[in-house]
Amino acid sequence: MSTCGQIIAGQFGKILIREKSGEKIELGDLLVVEDGEGLVLLQVYDLFYGSQISQVARELIAGMKLEGLGASMEFLEPQLRNYVLAECKAVLHISKEQKIPKMLPDFFGTVRHVSKKDLEFLSIPENPIYLGKIRSGSKIIDIEVYLNGLDALTHHILIPSTTGRGKSNLVKVMLCSVLGQGKFGILVLDPHDEYYGRTGKGLKDHPKARDNLRYYSTNPLVGTNTLVVNLKSIEPRHLEGVIPLSDAQEHAVRLYKAEYGDGWIESIVKGEEVKGVDPRTLTVLQRIMRASLSIYLEDDEIVCRNRVFSDTAGESTVIDIVKSLENGKIVVIDTSKLGDEAELLIGSIIANDVLFRYQDYKSEGKLAEKVPISIVIEEVPRVLGADRLADVGDNVYSKTAREGRKFKVGLIAITQLVSVIPRDILTNLNTKIIMGNEMSPERHALIDSSAQDLSDDDRNIASLDRGEAIVSSIFTKFAIPLKIPLFEDYLESCSKSVEKRSKTVFVG
Amino acid sequence: MLRELSLNAFQKALDSCLKEHVDFIVVSGDLFHSNIPDMGVVNQAVMKMKEVRDKGINIYVIYGSHDFSPNETSIVDILSSAGLFQKIVKGEVSNDKLKLEFFTDPKTEAKLVGISGRTLGLEKEYYEILDREFLEKEKGFKIFAFHTALDELKPASLAQMESMPVSNLPKGFDYYAGGHVHVKMEKKLQGYGAIRYPGTLFGYNFRDLEQNAEGEKPGLFIVSFDDDVEDVRFVDAPVCEYLKFEYDVSNKNSTKANEELVDKVKKSSVKGKLVLLRVSGELSGGKTSDIDFTQLREILLHKGAIYANINRYALSSKEYSSIRVEGKDVHEVETKLLRENIGAIKVTEPMLKGENGISLAVDLLGVLRHDKKTTEEKKDYNERMMRESLETLDLTEAME
Repeated sequence: MSTCGQIIAGQFGKILIREKSGEKIELGDLLVVEDGEGLVLLQVYDLFYGSQISQVARELIAGMKLEGLGASMEFLEPQLRNYVLAECKAVLHISKEQKIPKMLPDFFGTVRHVSKKDLEFLSIPENPIYLGKIRSGSKIIDIEVYLNGLDALTHHILIPSTTGRGKSNLVKVMLCSVLGQGKFGILVLDPHDEYYGRTGKGLKDHPKARDNLRYYSTNPLVGTNTLVVNLKSIEPRHLEGVIPLSDAQEHAVRLYKAEYGDGWIESIVKGEEVKGVDPRTLTVLQRIMRASLSIYLEDDEIVCRNRVFSDTAGESTVIDIVKSLENGKIVVIDTSKLGDEAELLIGSIIANDVLFRYQDYKSEGKLAEKVPISIVIEEVPRVLGADRLADVGDNVYSKTAREGRKFKVGLIAITQLVSVIPRDILTNLNTKIIMGNEMSPERHALIDSSAQDLSDDDRNIASLDRGEAIVSSIFTKFAIPLKIPLFEDYLESCSKSVEKRSKTVFVG
Repeated sequence: MLRELSLNAFQKALDSCLKEHVDFIVVSGDLFHSNIPDMGVVNQAVMKMKEVRDKGINIYVIYGSHDFSPNETSIVDILSSAGLFQKIVKGEVSNDKLKLEFFTDPKTEAKLVGISGRTLGLEKEYYEILDREFLEKEKGFKIFAFHTALDELKPASLAQMESMPVSNLPKGFDYYAGGHVHVKMEKKLQGYGAIRYPGTLFGYNFRDLEQNAEGEKPGLFIVSFDDDVEDVRFVDAPVCEYLKFEYDVSNKNSTKANEELVDKVKKSSVKGKLVLLRVSGELSGGKTSDIDFTQLREILLHKGAIYANINRYALSSKEYSSIRVEGKDVHEVETKLLRENIGAIKVTEPMLKGENGISLAVDLLGVLRHDKKTTEEKKDYNERMMRESLETLDLTEAME
């Protein structure tokens, strides 16, 4: 690779490189300078003009050209006098090992663009989750980037991004990568019904979908499951932090549970009285059931308007879902026709069950043989937002964010707003796959909580285009710039090495 | 005795059909417990079915997971060929689609079709390629018979059972006659007519009998219809009374437990009843074999119990606790043991891993548990065991 620049000044964390004329250094570029022991990997975080001519003179010359008074005026030896300067930081020292640099690279060292060979130390980890290829500026280097699934999923992943930057595409690529392995259980709460592939390509088109994918919807496709949860599957603790209840209402719920056991919700909806519960409180609880869960009584029968909750069907739905997750399957739950509270409640029921079982496994010494389970949840401030937690209290998602790591249960949290998530939760989300974000407070919240020092990357993050990202994780040596492939293209590459299924012979 | 009671239950059910003057009968699989059952049982069943047929009542059947054989002729095939009943499973795969054929009942013009059950839920493959459009657009009163549990409808107690989503069923049928699930269920789901599982007529294992003892009434559904289903009514067909009692040995040594159990059974009123005794817990001293279960059974039979079944799978003792697995019955104990140990076995074949592997192993154990029939030669028994084992493992084609 040819030289593209030279180190001319700077300090640690702010190395100044003069760009060679004709070469184009981009924001986010990965550059390399060789030292005696190996290479220093640099990343460009700012670009500005440099000139040997004073500003006053440049302004005059420009004014003369613009006003037509010096049309033939040109700079003498322009490539020497005017140039681009790049501000970089050293992100990695590559030799036999990869280390965080603690010295400045050689002064006046020549700099070139990174090549594939320089990055071959990035190997495929165990339990890999594919993210994309390394990006240097806008150029793609043919080196694939993976996360170690066991580490990343159990230590939580945050995907912060504004709309239209490709976060759904990223999640689909990750799930596609996991689908073929059957080593991780992933629960996907899908409020836009965009992961399975009801119309168009989706996870259902993966060659291993038949074995490793489950889809639940109120409007199921042939071969997929109806999303129906029996009311007896709902415990009072599932409502915690999801459906706000006053102290009196919580107390009433406990009394109903004690009196009616699994049938506590049905009893409330039917208006059956319990000693110690004020009839007005009962009326409010009925209203809450109607508003939050769409459950009410009609002609003496319990009806659920969104068809998700039932008193007759769905007794083993939650058990089946948890079993699928424990068997390393991806379970997508189409919540597109549900209100927020119903969606979060369903997630809460399943997540509580998973956490409960995995806590048991840990105490029995069986946790090591269990697959990690992760929960994909969108618009995460609904459950992890500081205001929300202050108003309604902790919920199973915040508990998972704080403690789930101990039990191999994690979150993949997707959000546009990072600044509303409490710092203690943000710092627990140990892998951040940062996509483009034009909001300065959000970028700063991310930068402040990242695993690497991204204090100089504000501009980098702001300039991330669709499908571009930076992975900052406690499990990566440096904040890796990425280009995420289109899901459809990645899916095709997964489908190439697949044996055709043998024909089914019908025996009546 | 159990076999006799099971036969009685079947005969009683057909008597109910005669009494109700039904037009036809649908059997959703497992008419028999195996594809080549005891000929004495077959003889009695055939006599009853012939009586029903002679009265002009047609019988429509599908195979179940027990009475089906993919490579051997089963008793259901023989009886169907003899005209005793009509199998309503017929179809062919064309352009990767399974097209089933309707059978029309001549008396009522009801249209019947179904998919049989297979071991390990292998019939799910047929649903994947089923030509639903063809079935759904057929006009008239339609009945779909199937022998599979449904994910959305199975009770929590059967959560571990192999099942499939209800979306696999073709929509728009007036009645869905379900089999395989040993529990009575009447359910409704949007887009489907009445879905009914009548449960077992008597019982196949301790759990079935226990359900009966706890109040579950075996029987059948009588469905009245014209253009649509007008009424669905369950008719009980009990064949005996039950008595169930439980005894917990916790904090007792084997001597005390034995004394108390003997006293308990001696005081019980069991005449004419089928008795189920569940003994569970951990003995504080002594061995489980110190409890004389043979004596207990003899006492019960002597007092007039028509049958006595003692379940001790959840019984253990402190002194011999090297293997501790609790379970309500053989099936549950086997499943738990396999689940605990399957992870230690390295295999590449997906069917041998995880839940698939466990189901397969349990089914194989069930097959290997079959006794040699009294009229069976040893050589024939060995061949039958080999054949049924290979069928269970779905290896028959590979071995040919």
